Amino acid sequence: MLEIHNLSSGYGDAMVLRDFSCQIDTGKVTALMGRNGMGKTTLVKTIMGLIRAKSGRIMFDGTAIEKQPTHQISRNGMGYVPQGREIFADFTVTENLRLSLLGHEGGNVLTLQQIYDWFPILKERAEQRAGTFSGGQQQILAIARSLIGGPKMLLLDEPTEGIQPSIVHEIGVQLKRIAHETGLSILIVEQNVDMVRTLADEVLFMENGAIQERCDINAMRDDDSLLHRYLSV
Amino acid sequence: MRSNLLALLVFAALAAAPILIGGYWTGQLTTYLVYGLLAMSLSLVWGYGGILCFGQAMFFGIGGYIMAVLTKGMILPELTSSYLGLIAAMAGSALFALALGYFLFAGRGISGAYLAIITLAMALVLERLMNNWYALGGYNGLLNVPPIKLTFFGASFELWDRMPTFYAVLAVVALVYLLVSWLLNSTYGLKLTANRTHPDRLASLGYNVLIIRLSVFALSAAIAGLAGAIFVTLDGFASPTLIGFTLSTEALIWVAIGGKEMLLAAFLGAILTRTAESWLSEIFGDYWILILGIAFMISVVLLPKGLLATPLEKLTQGKGRKSR
Repeated sequence: MLEIHNLSSGYGDAMVLRDFSCQIDTGKVTALMGRNGMGKTTLVKTIMGLIRAKSGRIMFDGTAIEKQPTHQISRNGMGYVPQGREIFADFTVTENLRLSLLGHEGGNVLTLQQIYDWFPILKERAEQRAGTFSGGQQQILAIARSLIGGPKMLLLDEPTEGIQPSIVHEIGVQLKRIAHETGLSILIVEQNVDMVRTLADEVLFMENGAIQERCDINAMRDDDSLLHRYLSV
Repeated sequence: MRSNLLALLVFAALAAAPILIGGYWTGQLTTYLVYGLLAMSLSLVWGYGGILCFGQAMFFGIGGYIMAVLTKGMILPELTSSYLGLIAAMAGSALFALALGYFLFAGRGISGAYLAIITLAMALVLERLMNNWYALGGYNGLLNVPPIKLTFFGASFELWDRMPTFYAVLAVVALVYLLVSWLLNSTYGLKLTANRTHPDRLASLGYNVLIIRLSVFALSAAIAGLAGAIFVTLDGFASPTLIGFTLSTEALIWVAIGGKEMLLAAFLGAILTRTAESWLSEIFGDYWILILGIAFMISVVLLPKGLLATPLEKLTQGKGRKSR
């Protein structure tokens, strides 16, 4: 689904990712773990075209996307749930969802009803302003907003940041269900071990701008040493 | 709902005004309506589109000159239709905005104060250009622009007398207001608001922000161009002052005083400021500018939403959500 070859990216002259390569499989949930400052968000933003790659290649579903503008990457089927959620606080739930629908007009979009079936809380609060929501509800909205555009792949950047554990679990379970039902590929950047255990099929550990280790989720369940090494937990 | 009622009241009051104010003031009010149209165009691009255009008069002027040149028959003597002139004025202004907007917004784009300065500079450049373009009258401008000639089904009617002209202009202004309000309440308004508040978030939702910006810039320019085209037929005169610095700044003041984020307030801002100018400049002479300046400062510092928009919003909102 997503193949990255020798990618270099960063801010100005400071390169965060150097010769980064990895592959994300179709229909799988892949978690990217690592300490702060290891280049996880930089990677996600570079995939999304929000940071321009200095060199290297990003192939998404057979298309090279590293030179495409962000809106084109989004229209190609890359959903993005940014760190900090970035929903439109002054808009209602419906307006937030409609905005994403309109942005993907002509594409393979979902219906509002489909989203409401997955996340009933959004239906209950359809006309409420998103700014009045709790962090967890905003996160659900941010994910739903991305899903309604009918992405082939979803990029989630630290979706559990600042959210209470019960909702974290709920989001994890629901996303897992959606991924299995629809065959959606997910790349999730996360430091929350519970979320990764709930959701992921496979885990990549990142350090100093490169993938150091790759393991199956079951292997990680049995053995904590990787978590100790790469997250210091 | 309430804001529709308010707009209806305002336009009804304007329609009734000629009965009370007599011929001279009806003529003046017709001009103010055209300025109101210019103010609406600026409110659309600045208040709704988030693009502070400091040179809005360039589109007004371009529309005016195109109308004058066409209806005077300076290009094709057979083609002097007012309709054609109005359409060409709108299209010409919109095309100019598209070209200028592409340079301003493409790539990383320019915003904020830099955008304001560049649009202001463009207006100055165009004003100098028109001052020196002798084929288009140069400093003296173009005289004897014919009034608008309405033709339907073979019958034709010239907008020469005050009353018919006033009502025709009022009808155009009301129609533009209706269309733009409708557009702003549609999904296009949603996109504009999103683009104004968080343009950085739109790209990852599949939007090309450049297209949203260009569309609102061009639409606003077309409305300003229409205003300019009507304006030159009222006075029969197109001059470089229509295109430049002074009118651009004045329009900005009307819209800031009225309220940039409310179409109706911006429109009324233009009409009331011009009306006040007529009265107060008779009483206070040049000191009138001082009063205008103070009103502008009060508006900017104390009521950033606008002197008119603040109370009008209270009226129309009651409780419930903010209008967009």
